[in-house]
Amino acid sequence: MKFSKLFLVALSISFFVSCSNDDDSNEPIGAYTHGVLILNEGGSGQGSVSYIGNDLSSFTQDVYGTVNGSDVFGKYAQSIFFDGDNAYIIAGGSNTINVVNRYTFKLIAKIDSGLKNPRYGVVKEGKAYVTNGNTYSYANPASGDTDDYIAVINLATNTVDSKIELNATANRIVLENGKLYITEPYSNDKLLVVNPSTNTLETSVNIGSSADTMEAKDGVLYVLRSPYGGRSEIVKVKLSDKTISKVTFPEALDGASNLDIYENRIFYTVETAVYAMNIIANEASVTSIVNYSSTSAYGKMYGFAVNDNRIFIADGGDFTANSKAYIYSITGTLQKELTVGVGPNGFYFNN
Amino acid sequence: MTLQKLFLCFSLCVCQFISAQNDSITKLKEVVVSDNNFKKFSTSQSVLKLNDSIINKNEALLTDLLNFNSVIYFKEYGRGMLSTVSFRGTTASQTAVIWNGININSQMNGSTDFNTISASDYNSINVKAGGGSVIYGSGAIGGTVHLNNDLSFNNQFDNSLKLYYGSFNTIGVNYKMNVSNEKWSTQIGFSKNSSTNDYLYLNKYNWRGEQRRNRNGQYDVMGLNADFGYKINKNNILKLYSQTSNTDRNTSLVSESETKSKYINGFSRNLIEYNGDFDKLTTNFKTAYIFENYQYFADIDRDYYSYGKTESLITKLDLGCQLLKSIQINGVLDYNRTKGYGTSFGNHIRELGSFAFLAKQQVNTKWQNEFGIRKEFNDVYKSPVLFSLGSSYAFNKFYNLKLNLSRNFRIPTYNDLYWEEGGNPDLKPESSYQAEIGNVFSYKKITFSQTVYYIKIKDLLRWIPGKNGIWAPQNTEKVNACGAETILSWKNNYGKNYFSANATYAYTISKNEETNKQLFFVPFNKVTGAVAYAHSKISINYQFLYNGFVYTRSDNDPKEIIDDYMVSNIGIDYDLKFLSSFKLGFQILNVFNKEYQSLEDRPMPGRNYNMYLILKF
Repeated sequence: MKFSKLFLVALSISFFVSCSNDDDSNEPIGAYTHGVLILNEGGSGQGSVSYIGNDLSSFTQDVYGTVNGSDVFGKYAQSIFFDGDNAYIIAGGSNTINVVNRYTFKLIAKIDSGLKNPRYGVVKEGKAYVTNGNTYSYANPASGDTDDYIAVINLATNTVDSKIELNATANRIVLENGKLYITEPYSNDKLLVVNPSTNTLETSVNIGSSADTMEAKDGVLYVLRSPYGGRSEIVKVKLSDKTISKVTFPEALDGASNLDIYENRIFYTVETAVYAMNIIANEASVTSIVNYSSTSAYGKMYGFAVNDNRIFIADGGDFTANSKAYIYSITGTLQKELTVGVGPNGFYFNN
Repeated sequence: MTLQKLFLCFSLCVCQFISAQNDSITKLKEVVVSDNNFKKFSTSQSVLKLNDSIINKNEALLTDLLNFNSVIYFKEYGRGMLSTVSFRGTTASQTAVIWNGININSQMNGSTDFNTISASDYNSINVKAGGGSVIYGSGAIGGTVHLNNDLSFNNQFDNSLKLYYGSFNTIGVNYKMNVSNEKWSTQIGFSKNSSTNDYLYLNKYNWRGEQRRNRNGQYDVMGLNADFGYKINKNNILKLYSQTSNTDRNTSLVSESETKSKYINGFSRNLIEYNGDFDKLTTNFKTAYIFENYQYFADIDRDYYSYGKTESLITKLDLGCQLLKSIQINGVLDYNRTKGYGTSFGNHIRELGSFAFLAKQQVNTKWQNEFGIRKEFNDVYKSPVLFSLGSSYAFNKFYNLKLNLSRNFRIPTYNDLYWEEGGNPDLKPESSYQAEIGNVFSYKKITFSQTVYYIKIKDLLRWIPGKNGIWAPQNTEKVNACGAETILSWKNNYGKNYFSANATYAYTISKNEETNKQLFFVPFNKVTGAVAYAHSKISINYQFLYNGFVYTRSDNDPKEIIDDYMVSNIGIDYDLKFLSSFKLGFQILNVFNKEYQSLEDRPMPGRNYNMYLILKF
């Protein structure tokens, strides 16, 4: 009798367990499943991550701290990249990548050796490719501008396997058609091309100085560059033959930044205004969709993204106090204003 | 009768100094102070005097001494690391450090790092609250810290050697020699304090579950000083002060994977002083050469470093005249030439000249007035006319009232003016008005002083992001600070049992005028306390420090604060009465093992130990 009861209990437990296992594979479990992650760079203290649900109601100002307690997040949170259920948060000032579950934000591991001023990363076939600023010229005039590298990280072990020397400066990185494309706005006027299957540097493309944000679509890489004192332009690199064409912006759009392609439109910002042009247009629009107000001298449009029919804007503020993020409809109606962390610099989407 | 008067006068003078924990035996000797104007022109302000015996009861670096014994608030980047102050709610460059009468705040960043100074290199250290720019120049807004090497002229040959060893491999050596007769006086000192400083962070573990500890926090502070005095005759004295120091420090890491960096800084100071005292006229002439430099290794694995150096020549002529029996006046001419060069601010020469007029009126034994005015001239920026007005009146032997009103300033530093990129050559000095009222009560062996103050600071320099994201300083902010300081001291003996107790309490409100928010890293409350007991060869002491919470952000986000903390130390020493003094001591620091920090992510050590040996012969 007793035994049969026990057996019954055991059976029902295993039934429930298997049931919930089935659920797991369909639907991610976690408090931060359907919403937007806002990365806060941090100032003199650590960086942080804020979360707002897609319904714009559930908000957590410090997700990482809420979930992981007093763990040292790291300084100068630069960017996040994803692989499967994992988010990889780069804390550049601490030479660390925090590996968390992107839905629960529970810390899984840290990649904390082999990195030096890591910036941005992409993932291909179980390996992450992360640009590293390494030393900077102000601290190392001899080789600060030529020692940047890509750290190749084995995501099964969370260790840096190898390095690809770039012999130039490197910052943003994009993966398209099996190749890595890299820009850096301060000391590099080329688009670097890396073949990750051989870990070798291929012939780079002369695109001009001050090239920063970029996105690939249909075999074309759209790179926005805005040289100081000159006209901004979108450089279109046809990746199959590396030929380039350009859309030069009018003077009114000097200092354009934050290129983001959304549904056949290229979004970009100038100061506190957001603009969009058709991806095939030959002229840039000078009519703003949104113009938010900011008292920040350095942190205007510090973070920007377009997704899910919404425009996301982060204001860097004064870098000593918590600052603001704004969510607008795609047509420019303010939907939400949030107080996030110090120096918010990017938006990432859990859907 | 005259003796009585003299005694009264003397005790009045003494009243000005709330003397803390004097040695139970005070030797009478003729001492020539290095800074004549200090005593003369600080009667209307609050001065805390820390002497040899209290210096010995504290850890070696100046931060610890002042943190546990004064109202000054300290912010440390971990034990032994960069340590900056806030005095009366002001910024780090608004407290001037004065070495034998000369302002030694860095020409480069305007402030002093209190962990690069060994307290035991000096005979006494005075903390004067409130403005002092008329006499001490730039930075004397919140207050001044005076490091003194006083020379004595009597027949003596004294040596003192202090050795200590403590947790985290902390090693200290301090040796001082005094040789003097009635004509000559020589003082030579050497100190070295070092630590591997790899203390554990209480209750802190990394993601692997390993205990965290302070990494890359090793330091080594070394100092050498030599001071000479020669009495040419009874009217003329010649003095020479010389000091060299080097601090070699790594900078402790917030997270283990950070790039390790290192900071080396040093200084060399030489001062020649002539004192002439002729009947009604006095002459004081000073010439000083001060050299300071730093090297910053952003990455200790590389040889490359950035550096900065300044060389300053300071000359000061101070002529005094006893105009009337009750009135003494001084005219001070000051010329200062600084050459600064470095990787971050090019090569610039700055010349400053100033004229000051000081007057002191001794109405009677009870009432003294002070007046001072100063104007600085230079070709870089406009300087305000500074002044100081003070009065001290002793109603009776229990109660003394002090009033002081002053205008003070802080000039832009080399970094502010010339930093590449961002330096702003169009800056004005920060300037402040300050008013204070002090009440000093003395009853038997108790001295109790309370001072309330109000400071209005304008043109506060702040580095803010400007064009193209380059941070640049601007004269942007106005700050209003007000507060109260209470200092209590008591000393008594019952037979052979000697007791003493000291306490300080500072209440500070310091707000940005525009936002009405408290400045970050200014606590509303700070309390210190110390009690000591001595019986023949044994003495025991206990001290504590309480720092109220501080905001770490300009918007006063209540979630972003450093929690308040209270830290206690106890010490015991035993004099073996071998040689003239042979003390063996043991200290337990942070005796209650309190987890605390004065800056975010910069934990301080838990309970730790220190033992020492002080020999005098």
